[in-house]
Amino acid sequence: MGDTNTIRILDGNTFVVSEDTGDIEATPSEPTGLFSIDTRFLSRWVLTINGERLNSLSYDDLQYYEARFFLVPGMATHYVDAKLSVIRERAVGGSFRETLTILNHDEKAVDLEIRMEAASDFADLFQVKDEILNKKGEIYTEPEADRLRLGYRRGNFRRETVISSSEPARYDHGGFAYTIHLEPNEQWQSIIDVQTFAIGPGGRDLRMGLRAHGTERLALQQDLEEWIARAPKVNSEHGRVAATYQRSLVDLAALRFSPLSLGGQTLPAAGLPWFMTMFGRDSILTCLQVLPFAPELSKTTLRILGALQGTRFDDFRDEDPGRILHEMRYGETSSFEEQPHSPYYGSVDATPLFVVLLDEYERWSGDVALVKELERECRAALKWIDEYADLVGNGYIWYERRNTDTGLENQCWKDSWDSISYRDGTLPPFPRATCEVQGYAYDAKVRAARMAREFWDDPAYADQLEREAAELKERFNRDWWVADGGYYALALDPKGRQVDTLSSNIGHLLWSGIVDQARAEQVAQHLVGPRLFSGWGVRTLAEGEVRYNPIGYHNGTIWPFDNSFIAWGLRRYGFAEEAATIANGILDAATYFDGRLPEAFGGYQRELTKFPVEYPTACTPQAWSTGTPLLLIRTMLGLEPHEGHLAVDPRLPVGMGRIEVLDIPGRWGRVDAFARGRLDLHNLAG
Amino acid sequence: MLDATTRFFEDLDRRGYEPLLAKTSGTLRFDLHQGAQTTHWLLQIDRGNLQIAQEDREADTVVGADPRLFDALVSGGDNAIAALLRGDVTVVGDLRLLLQFERVFPGPADSRGPRRVFAREMR
Repeated sequence: MGDTNTIRILDGNTFVVSEDTGDIEATPSEPTGLFSIDTRFLSRWVLTINGERLNSLSYDDLQYYEARFFLVPGMATHYVDAKLSVIRERAVGGSFRETLTILNHDEKAVDLEIRMEAASDFADLFQVKDEILNKKGEIYTEPEADRLRLGYRRGNFRRETVISSSEPARYDHGGFAYTIHLEPNEQWQSIIDVQTFAIGPGGRDLRMGLRAHGTERLALQQDLEEWIARAPKVNSEHGRVAATYQRSLVDLAALRFSPLSLGGQTLPAAGLPWFMTMFGRDSILTCLQVLPFAPELSKTTLRILGALQGTRFDDFRDEDPGRILHEMRYGETSSFEEQPHSPYYGSVDATPLFVVLLDEYERWSGDVALVKELERECRAALKWIDEYADLVGNGYIWYERRNTDTGLENQCWKDSWDSISYRDGTLPPFPRATCEVQGYAYDAKVRAARMAREFWDDPAYADQLEREAAELKERFNRDWWVADGGYYALALDPKGRQVDTLSSNIGHLLWSGIVDQARAEQVAQHLVGPRLFSGWGVRTLAEGEVRYNPIGYHNGTIWPFDNSFIAWGLRRYGFAEEAATIANGILDAATYFDGRLPEAFGGYQRELTKFPVEYPTACTPQAWSTGTPLLLIRTMLGLEPHEGHLAVDPRLPVGMGRIEVLDIPGRWGRVDAFARGRLDLHNLAG
Repeated sequence: MLDATTRFFEDLDRRGYEPLLAKTSGTLRFDLHQGAQTTHWLLQIDRGNLQIAQEDREADTVVGADPRLFDALVSGGDNAIAALLRGDVTVVGDLRLLLQFERVFPGPADSRGPRRVFAREMR
């Protein structure tokens, strides 16, 4: 799905993926189309002139919500003397609108038959890569005098695509057509509007009143400009960091998503375009990364995740009271419970991270009201950690899916099937407990203790949480330390045996603060040592492990987001040079992707490939990759809220020159931070 | 014998307060249509405090459903969000009220919750 010649534009969770001509001809291997609320509303959208397909001269994706295609009729071999130009301009903003312009450059008049083939298979997003053979409902097509209606009906589930045009067209079962006459140098234009409907029995649309921003192009433009104007400015001596920051900021704007129940407020979705929905883990980690730059995202994320916190046991959805959701979907398979995403709760890290984000958000914003507002949800989350997540009864968070058909096997961020293995490569039985999640639980308790003492007026609860956190830290350092390796095990199996591979997860432990001070040095040295560090970043799994593969999804690739939290953790324990080494490697890599970091890239040694080898993935930009440069800037500049003001303690590598971040928002109002590269990383990076 | 819906609302009325709705205020009306007959349940929610009446009065949110489906929703036999996405439940007005109230419905009766390894051993 990551094809380079597909063009995507989007607004919220409405998006269009097409070929570089603007045409859509969906197949399982080319899942193009117009999508909204996790449903494909157009699977065929093919323009012909006098029966001929068009060829692309060029295209511009002007903004994330609009694109323009310049086309000529005929095959590539003879389009140089084409007498016609065709421009398709399209934008999404609520509906999908395409402006078709045709110019006659000939000295003679021409008669043209312009035809758009239009059809939809109404595939669920989960099915777009499959051959769709047995849809359970009925697809219908209704050409009317002034519109074409494409629909799908299964019981009361109804989705409709309605196509209309500013110029009169003839609508039929396969699309619509115009017959036009163009004099020399004359041009013709038609605005085609494609609206998507999710219709209930009363004829009302499910999504009424939940647009994130105005549906018009101008409103989107204004919204983007305001978003950029609100964020801090970053200037850098070499321009590189500033350019990466600017790219991230615009991508972050595109990734904002307004779920059904938030009345137009936005939170970061996980990735474009296939993951334009709420993910507990991805949304929270992205909020943490971008807190110094876009704090309002944290507030809405916390509110919506709190509002949808689990309240009961539901084995199909892996829901428990107090659990924070994993993923929400609105398509046919969720509706008919063929998939559990209504919402699905199968993640073990979102719940402790919810508490962590709330505390971190308050430290920056001073928004005590939100900490009070979400006290009940925090307590429920902490109760979940102790009561429902401890499947083995030894004080750790474990996971084992109850939905064995469609639930997730690995409920940590490394969620592929083979991501958790022993040194010999075998996979542990369930339940499993991964190390980074225990760190999050520790951090959640420490932070909740602060909130209980300062804002919830419950010092006894604060004492209890601090005691539990201290016991957890002691227990963890006893049970998870791999003595012959000098690091923490990736996981424990249900018999308490260590899953003793060396992995990037140990870096998250530094971020959470669960690492014994005396062991931090050893952990830090592993993170920048030859088995884990490639020169660009920290590999998910260390070289030398049986399942290590430089292009193994969670078994050797480098994930920028993972590295950003590792760098933050190193900084927390005072390893500023090590943190800067990682920040430097990842920001270097970003320049090879025009400032847009991919989800993951190959774990090959930097000297070997000279450039980072992109891992082919479904989505770009990915929210937590987009947030990565922002957290790295925070880490290198040592930005930290401290007693009501913003502390700045920059430790930049020499090559980065001068960096300034202006107008950082927070409880202090807005302040600036300046830094100059002074660290010589030469000794470390070797 | 009372139907599940009546038992559910009577139980809620008896409790008078629902902590899951502590941040919720508004009026929510359920219209349960069966042929020409419609049963109404009107809930006034004031930061978790509940008042329940069988009245057809104006409300911030009006939810429509078949009575059998609603029986299933209040007894864990079906899920309200899935039913809403499916079009089997309709909403006019503020959708958020229903999404908050829906959390009060129980989970499936056959859901066992976390499978504790140590509990299994103790049994």
